[in-house]
Amino acid sequence: MSALALPAMRMTTKGFRTLTLTQARLLLREPAALVWLLLPPALVVVFGNIPAFTTDQKALDGRSVIDVYVPTIAAMVPLLVALTALPLTMASFREKDVLRRLAVSPVPAAGMLAALLAVIAAIAALGVALIIAIGALAFHVKAPADPASVTAAFVLGSGAVFALGLVVAALARTSGAASGAGVPLMVLNFFFSGLYFPVAEMPRALQRIGEYVPFGAVMAAWSGDGPLWRHLTVLAAYTVLGSLLAARVFRWE
Amino acid sequence: MTVIEVDHLHKRYGDLVAVDDVSFTVGEGEIFGILGPNGAGKTTTVECLSGLRSADRGSVRVLGLDPRADREALRQVLGVQLQESGLPDRITVREALDLFASFYARPVPAAPLMDRLGLTEKAGARYKQLSGGQKQRLAIALAMIGGPRAVILDELTTGLDPHARRTTWDLVEGIRDEGVTVVLVTHFMAEAERLCDRVALIDSGRVVAVDTPAALAASAGQTQRMRFRPSAPLDEAALRALPEVVSVVRRGPQVEISGTGNLVQAVTSLLARRQIIAADLRVEQTTLDDAFVALTGHSRSV
Repeated sequence: MSALALPAMRMTTKGFRTLTLTQARLLLREPAALVWLLLPPALVVVFGNIPAFTTDQKALDGRSVIDVYVPTIAAMVPLLVALTALPLTMASFREKDVLRRLAVSPVPAAGMLAALLAVIAAIAALGVALIIAIGALAFHVKAPADPASVTAAFVLGSGAVFALGLVVAALARTSGAASGAGVPLMVLNFFFSGLYFPVAEMPRALQRIGEYVPFGAVMAAWSGDGPLWRHLTVLAAYTVLGSLLAARVFRWE
Repeated sequence: MTVIEVDHLHKRYGDLVAVDDVSFTVGEGEIFGILGPNGAGKTTTVECLSGLRSADRGSVRVLGLDPRADREALRQVLGVQLQESGLPDRITVREALDLFASFYARPVPAAPLMDRLGLTEKAGARYKQLSGGQKQRLAIALAMIGGPRAVILDELTTGLDPHARRTTWDLVEGIRDEGVTVVLVTHFMAEAERLCDRVALIDSGRVVAVDTPAALAASAGQTQRMRFRPSAPLDEAALRALPEVVSVVRRGPQVEISGTGNLVQAVTSLLARRQIIAADLRVEQTTLDDAFVALTGHSRSV
C-alpha cells in the first residue's frame, strides 16, 4: 500500500500491516477455503500430458493447445479467489459478529477490505506464477505474441473481478449469501472467458455482451477482437467503481 | 465533568419503538448502570452511544463528541464491549490484543493487561478454545487496550457462573479505580447494587428513575422487613403503635413486620420488655428488585 492510500483509508501503517498479517495467518490456518486453488495447476499438468495438446497446430498460428490454454487457466486463479475466498472470508466474519466487534474499534471499512484484498491478491499472484512456471518449465509453453497487452489485460481483469468480489464481500450477510452471489458471477466470467465453450463460436450478440463482462473483455483483448483501449477502459471502470462502491456500502453486521 | 449526555433519545425500527424517550448524564469516574428487563431498550441505547446506530430524535454526546459525526475521534477514547460480538475462531488471545492495539494512537501495553485479566497463561490459546468467562475477560481487555477514557460494558456477566461473575465485578471496580468512566448495562439487580454509583432504570424504552441504588431501593417504600416466631402470644396493637412499624402480618406461627427507620431495634426492645424471644429471626432490606417492581408496576422477569 502506498503512503497515499493509507490516509485515504484513515488507517495507520502499523494498523494496516497488523491487520493484513493477521488476515493472512487466519486464512492459512483454515486452508480449506483455498482448496479450489489446486485445480488450475492440476489442469495444466493434465493438459501438458496429452500429446495432442503439446504439438503445434497450423489452425492456431503454429501454437499448441496448451499455449493457448495456459492464460485461460491462469485466469481461473483470480476468478476463483476473488469471487469465493474473498467474499466468503468477509461474510463469515460478519456472520460470527467479528465485524460488529471491529465496528466499535477505530478500524475503517476500507481498511478491512483492503487488508483482506492484499492477502487474497498475493495468494492469486502466487497461483498465477506457479501456473506460468509449470507451463514454461515442464511443458515449454510459448510466451504470448504481445506480452505487454496480454499482461495489461490480465492485471486489469484481475482488478475488475477483485472489485466485484469486494462488493459481494461488503454486502453478503452470511457465507451462504456470499456463495450465492459470488459463484454465479464466477461462472459468468468463466463462460465468457471461453472455458466451457469457445467465445468465437458464440452468437455475435452474446460476444458483444461478453466484452462487458470482466474476463470476456480480457479474452477479447487477448484475441484482438475490438479495440484494446475499450476493453482496458471497461476493466478499469469495474476496478475503480467496484472498490469505491464496496467501501461505501460496507456492512458491519 | 460530564462524560456522557443523553437527551430525549428516540429510536425506532419500523413500527417497533426500541427507545422511546431516554435521558441521563454520566459523570467522570462513575460506574453508571443501565438497568432493565430484556427488550427494555438497553442495547439500542448503548448502540446509539457507541455510534453503531443513529438516533431518530434527541441527542447523544460522549466525551463531548457526536458518536456518528465524530466517529473516528470517539473510537480512540471509548472502549466498547458488546453483548453480541465475536472473534475469528482461530485467532489467539495475544494476536487479538496486538491487532486491536495496532488500531489505536496510544494503546496500553498488552502484557500487564493480560496479567490483570488473568489471560497470560491463555495468551497462545485460540478464541474457540476459551471458556465463557475467558472470552468475556478478553472482551474487557479489547475494550481497554486502546487506553479509553470511558468504557461501555453490555451484559458483561450474562452466562457466567457465580464465581466468574464475582471475579469480573472486581475487574470492573479496578477499571473505575484507574479513573475510567464505566457504563454498565445489566439486567441483574444484584450486579447493579454491588457495582454502580448510580443507575438508570429503563422500562419499555423509557427512563423510570435515575438515582443511587440505595436511594432507589428506599423509594420503593418500606426499607426493612423482619420475620420471626414469637415465643409467647404477641400484642399486635402494641407493635402497630410503634412509629417505625408500617404493617404487621401473621403467617401461621410466624409474624412479618415491615417498616422504616430503626425498625429492628424498636421491635426487639419491645419484645425484650415483654420477655418474648424472637425465634428464627430474619431481617431483609428492600432491594433494587423491590424498587423495580414498585416503580414499573410489574415484575422484572419477562
